[in-house]
This record gives sequence, C-alpha cells and structure tokens, in this order.
Amino acid sequence: MKRMLLISLREFLENVRTKGFWIGILMMPVVLVLVAVVPLIIESTRSAKSYAVIDESNWLGSEVQAEISRRDFRYLFTDLRKGREEALLPELAKVLPEIRVLGETGIDEAVASILTGSAPPEALGNRWVAHLSDHRVLIRDWWQKLTPGARADLSARISSNRFVLMEHSGDIETLNQQINSGSLFAYFILGADPVNESAGGRYVSNNLTDLDLQNWYGRIVNRIVRDRRLLEKNIDEETAAWINQQTEFEGIKLDEDGLEAQVDNTDIARQWAPVGFVYFLWISILINTQMLLTNTIEEKSNKLIEVLLSSVSPVMLMGGKILGIAATGLTIILSWIVMALVFFLGVPALLGVELPLDLSSVLAEPWLLLSFLVYFLLGYLFYAALLVGLGSLCNNLKEAQNLILPVQMIQILPILMMIPIGRDPNSTLAQVMSYIPPLTPFVMMNRAAGPPAVSEYITTTLLMVVSIVAAFWLAAKVFRIGILMTGKPPGLREIYRLLRAPVSTRGTASGRAS
Amino acid sequence: MNSIELEGVNKFFGHHHAVADMSFSVPAGSVYGFLGPNGAGKTSTIRMIMSILYPDSGRVTVLGSNNPESVKDRLGYLPEEKGLYKKMKTRELIAYFGTLKGLPWREAHSRAQALLERFGLQASADQKCESLSKGMGQKVQIISTLIHEPEVVILDEPFSGLDPINIEMVRDVILDLRRQGRTVIFSTHIMEQAEQICDALLLVNGGRKILDGPVADIKRDFEPTLLVDFEGDARHLDQPGVTRINNMGRKAELSIAQDADPQMIMQSLMREMTITGFSVREPSLHEIFVRAVRESAT
Repeated sequence: MKRMLLISLREFLENVRTKGFWIGILMMPVVLVLVAVVPLIIESTRSAKSYAVIDESNWLGSEVQAEISRRDFRYLFTDLRKGREEALLPELAKVLPEIRVLGETGIDEAVASILTGSAPPEALGNRWVAHLSDHRVLIRDWWQKLTPGARADLSARISSNRFVLMEHSGDIETLNQQINSGSLFAYFILGADPVNESAGGRYVSNNLTDLDLQNWYGRIVNRIVRDRRLLEKNIDEETAAWINQQTEFEGIKLDEDGLEAQVDNTDIARQWAPVGFVYFLWISILINTQMLLTNTIEEKSNKLIEVLLSSVSPVMLMGGKILGIAATGLTIILSWIVMALVFFLGVPALLGVELPLDLSSVLAEPWLLLSFLVYFLLGYLFYAALLVGLGSLCNNLKEAQNLILPVQMIQILPILMMIPIGRDPNSTLAQVMSYIPPLTPFVMMNRAAGPPAVSEYITTTLLMVVSIVAAFWLAAKVFRIGILMTGKPPGLREIYRLLRAPVSTRGTASGRAS
Repeated sequence: MNSIELEGVNKFFGHHHAVADMSFSVPAGSVYGFLGPNGAGKTSTIRMIMSILYPDSGRVTVLGSNNPESVKDRLGYLPEEKGLYKKMKTRELIAYFGTLKGLPWREAHSRAQALLERFGLQASADQKCESLSKGMGQKVQIISTLIHEPEVVILDEPFSGLDPINIEMVRDVILDLRRQGRTVIFSTHIMEQAEQICDALLLVNGGRKILDGPVADIKRDFEPTLLVDFEGDARHLDQPGVTRINNMGRKAELSIAQDADPQMIMQSLMREMTITGFSVREPSLHEIFVRAVRESAT
C-alpha cells in the first residue's frame, strides 16, 4: 500500500510539472474571462447596417420612424420603470419625437448634459430638455445605478445603433449600385396603398442570411398598418390599443410547500447549471483518463515497466498510476472551483461591476459542488480502469486509439443527451440511463436540477461502485499480462481469452497465462 | 547454500512452451550465467525468479522462500530493455527506486548521492535523466538496481549494446559484487563474456536446459581439441584416442578422449605424416554449447 502511494506521489509530481497541467489550471480563468467579455465584445463590434426607404405611400415611412423612436425610448427607460419611476413614463411620453434623432452617443450626451447642467446637444428639442431637467435627480440616480454591462446592453437594444436610415434621392439605380458596392445593406420599397393592398412592398438586399433588418422593419410596418386599418373602421385609439395588446405570461414556479414564487434569472441559471457541470465533468474525466492512457503507454514504451514490476506488483502499479492522476485531476478541479468562486463572488464585489452571467448562486450550493466531485471520482475511476487495462496492451498511442474507440463512442452519449436531459431531468429515458454505469455520473449530474429521488442516488451510486470494482478486477487481469506484451496489440477475441484465462500465482497454480 | 532453486518449472505463452521442465540451482555468492541464443527462455526464467511472471507448474525458491514476492526487496533486477524517467533528476530517480524497494526516503537519497559519487556521476546528480549520455544512463540504471544493496542481483543481457569501455565497467561491477559476497545472475548470448567471469552457468536452448554446473566441471566433461596443420595421407589422422575428426583438407580438428594423452597422439601423428603446426585447446564454451545442442537434438 505504501508503495502504491509512492508511485502515485511520483506520478502526481511529474504531472504537476507538465505544461498540460498548467494549461488545465489556466483553462478556467480563460473560460471565465471569455464568458464575461466575449458577449460585450460581440455587441460592441457589431456594425450598424444602413438601409434606405422609398416610400410610395408618402406617409408610412415617417410613421415607422416615429414608432422606431418610441420603441427605442421604451427600451431606454425600461430600467427606469424597473427602478419604480413609473410615474415618469407618461411624462416622458409627451416628448417622444425629440429623441428619435438620438443615437447611443446622443443619449449619453443628453443625459450627461442634463446632469452637469451644460448646454444640451443641438438636436434636442426644448421640451425634452425641460423635461429632463425636471426629473434630473431621478435620471441621475438611475444612470448612476446602471452598470457598464447594463449600459452596453441598453445601447445594443437601441435600434438606431443597429440600423441606420440613409438619406437618398429616390433613384433606384443609385440604390442598387450602393448595395452592390456594399455601402448600403438593403432598401425597402413601401407600396402606394399598404392599408388596402398587402402587396406592393419590396425588400432589396444582397445578404440573404441576415434577416434581422427585414424582420425588425417588417414588424413595425405591420403594426402601423394594422393600427391604421383599425382606425379606418372607426375603432377608437383606446380600443385599438386594447386589441393590439399582447398577452404576457409570467414565469411562476412552485416551491416545496406548493406556494407560488416569481421565476428570476437565478432560477433559470440553477436549472441549467447541472448541464454546465456535466460539461466540465465530461472534460475533466476525458482529460484525466487520456492523461492516464498516454502515461501508461509512455511508461511501457520507455521500458520502465519491468524495473517497476521488480519492486511492486502489477496491481499496485496500476493502482498507483490511477491514484496519482486522480490527485492531479482533483487538484485541477479544486483550482477551477476556487477560481470560479473568486471570479463570480469576488470580482463584482471588488470592482463593483456586474457580470453578464451571474453564477454565484449556483456556486454557493454545496450540494452541486459535492456531487460534481463525487461523480468526477466515480466516473474517473471507472474509465481509468478501462483505459489503463486497454492501454497496457498497446505499444504506442496509435494502437491505443483503435482499441479505445468503443469506449470513446460510449463517452459521447452523455454530451448528446446533455440538453434533452437538462430540459426534462426526470424523464423515463433519463431515469433508465442513470442505471447504465458508464453513463451514471454524467446523467445523474445532469439531472441534479430535477432532482432525482434519494433512493435513485443511493442505488445508482451503489451500482457504480460495484461496476468500478468489476472494472478494476478486469483491468488488473489484463494489465498484469498486457503491460509486458510486445508486438501487435491483441484483438477483442484475444482480450476476451485473456480475461477468461486463470492467472497463475506463486509457482503452485497450474493453467496457462497469456 | 543456494540462493535460487528451480524445480520442474514450466511456462506457456498460449501454445508456446517458453520454459520447459527447468531445474537448476544458483549457489549463494557465485556469479551465475544464463547462456543461450535469443528466444531460449532466459528472460522468462528470470521474470519468474523476479515474480513478474508466475510459472504454470513447478517450484521457484528464492532466498529460501517459496513465495518470491515476499523477498522482492532483497533482489535487484536490471532488465534487458530498460529506461529512465526522462524528466526526473538523476538522484531523485535512483532514490525513488530505492524507496520502492522499501528504503526510507532520507536513506535512499543519501545512498543515491554516495553511489553517484562512487560511479563518478556526482556532477549529474541534479540533471534530468534525458540529458545523460548512453553510458551515463547505463550507470544510473545499475545504481538504481544496487541502491538497496540486494543479496541477489539479476542482470538481463547487461552487455548488449555497450561499447568496450562500458562492457568493462559492467564487468567490474559484477566482479565487485562477487567480492562483496552477493550472488549475481546475468544472462547473455555471448559465450566469451560468460567464460571470463562466470563461476557456474546454465545453458538453455528452446526453453530447455542443455546443461548446468560450475564452469570448470562443465569443461572437464568435454574433450579437449587438438588442432593440426598437416601434409600427407589424412587416413593417418585416425589414431587411437581420437574420437572425432573434423578434416578441413590441410588442417584438421581432432577431439581427444578424456583419458588419452594429447602428447602421445602427437608423437604417433608425426611418425606417419608431416605436421607443420599444432595446438591443444580446452573446449570453449562456444564449442561446448554447439556440441551440447547438437547432442541434445540427436
């Protein structure tokens, strides 16, 4: 036993000195930074698309522009409403037309000018200025409470940051040339009588995949045309608004006592967190078992095995290697957890910024983390036994790749099932898969949001432990012979024969080995 | 007192009978050679002594124990194909093998340092193994085998692939171990090496023992050879006391019965024909081996 620990200690120390180990450790901060920063970068680099409108109706185009401004305005002040400054909204609604000319910078400038009391941008109408001045304190509070992430989010939702209306002479030839040269993304032709004829409109563009502009503009046009039709049938504005009102569904969950509670983002994160954990579980197990396989084959091709076997038994050697790499893997995983905790709990508190993805509530749940560690160990031990057994038969990685292909095919299943099980953690399929030992760790982790019944946890874990013992027993049988084999690795039939053959021991037993 | 005894040991690999009914004993404190061509079963026999493999039948007794596993720590083994952990430092590696043989960590490190100094490798103690030359690597491997001061040292083909300087180095190590009273077993397919340093040996071929025993006894059992250069009628070569004639035309190799006197035979030959040169030789291990294999085959 002591020598097994010696072997695992050496294994651990050697792995800790490899580049792969540090790449593994540093993978987490890189992933975290990517998670936090990439969405912001994507938002900020998305360039605005320019479009033109030929308005044959002579009224629809300007109506649409007014509606666009209204919507932007509404987005902009959603946060105000969230801040319970609802009373402000009808007031602000009175000054709508003035903000239609404002882009993101315009809004920034406008707010800044009101807050500092400096001269407002020229584009701003007097009513807007006066109004903002009236509510200076409210707006200042609101603006100051906005995090950089929220501000970026806000500006991304302002349509004038995404789509820019171009002035034009009305000459279609020129517009077509501009589209071909790339200076114009698309142009719309609005029919002469959109209220009575639904045909007549056109959307001209060279880009057939990005339909954002078409959908967005089309929705607004439809809304206005519908309003106009309602008006022509003498339906008053109030009724029209009522007809147009959409039915909204509020997400409600039931807690353990059957009481209703509001669903917020934390709940959704908690529901999907197990899927994230499955992914990390999968990567960790894959990386570590692969490390074990490489290491076993390397040791075999380095001709070190025989020297080691003159001091320890094959089973001790195998156990030591599996243990040493388990220690390496656990070190990496613990460092990931610590880094994630620091990142999600520490960074917002220290720097006062809000992260676009807040997982602190998930990380604060010890049950999830604990099951992650337990399932890592169970899954790792199971696959480690399989791979070390198969790896012992091979002289190089190429041979090993052929031999472990069936194992790898099984390993893909949890990834394929990750999303379906995440959606319905207690489905019959998920329950059945929990009892298939090679899948148990992944599927049970996947189902954590369900959560599975305590009895399921107990039976699947027991089954898993039995499977691991069986896998170790088989692996030991193959390993003690395979590790000394040279030449072509055996086929599946020969491996089966290896498993069936009694292993001679200590000079007294009879029978044939190898 | 014997360090190692094998009785009727058999080992199969599938249908291949790798070691067949092997029995021999290695006297304590001797240098014992395993001789035989490649594939004769030397390595399999060694692996059974080291309890890396287990015999399918028969008995292996090592240092008085029927359970060789229990005496592993008193044995040192250098396999034919051996490697080093490339990324480990030389001293660390040697000490690691020491601890695997049951030495306490501190003891293993101080012994590793002492042995490195004895082998003139103190400068490489903190270098990684990958930076060692082949000869230095060989020394490190030998030190790793000896660090726990084993009572029995088993070296599988220790001379293969070595240059003359390193062959001498390994030979000196073996002789030094004998001086210290340890038992050394080494296998080789080069007879001259065995002839130079072995006290006793085992000849194997095709998994079977051909013969074994002290070198002097083996040689005594085989007839000396008389080599003659001659002119004249070759029929005269057939003198009383000559058991076998290998006539090459103007040169002949005569095997002489053990009780016959080579001097007498020479005198009779010189009477009958012109002898231009002659020599009397003890049979070399090579000849003994060839003859024994031939005899065992008939």
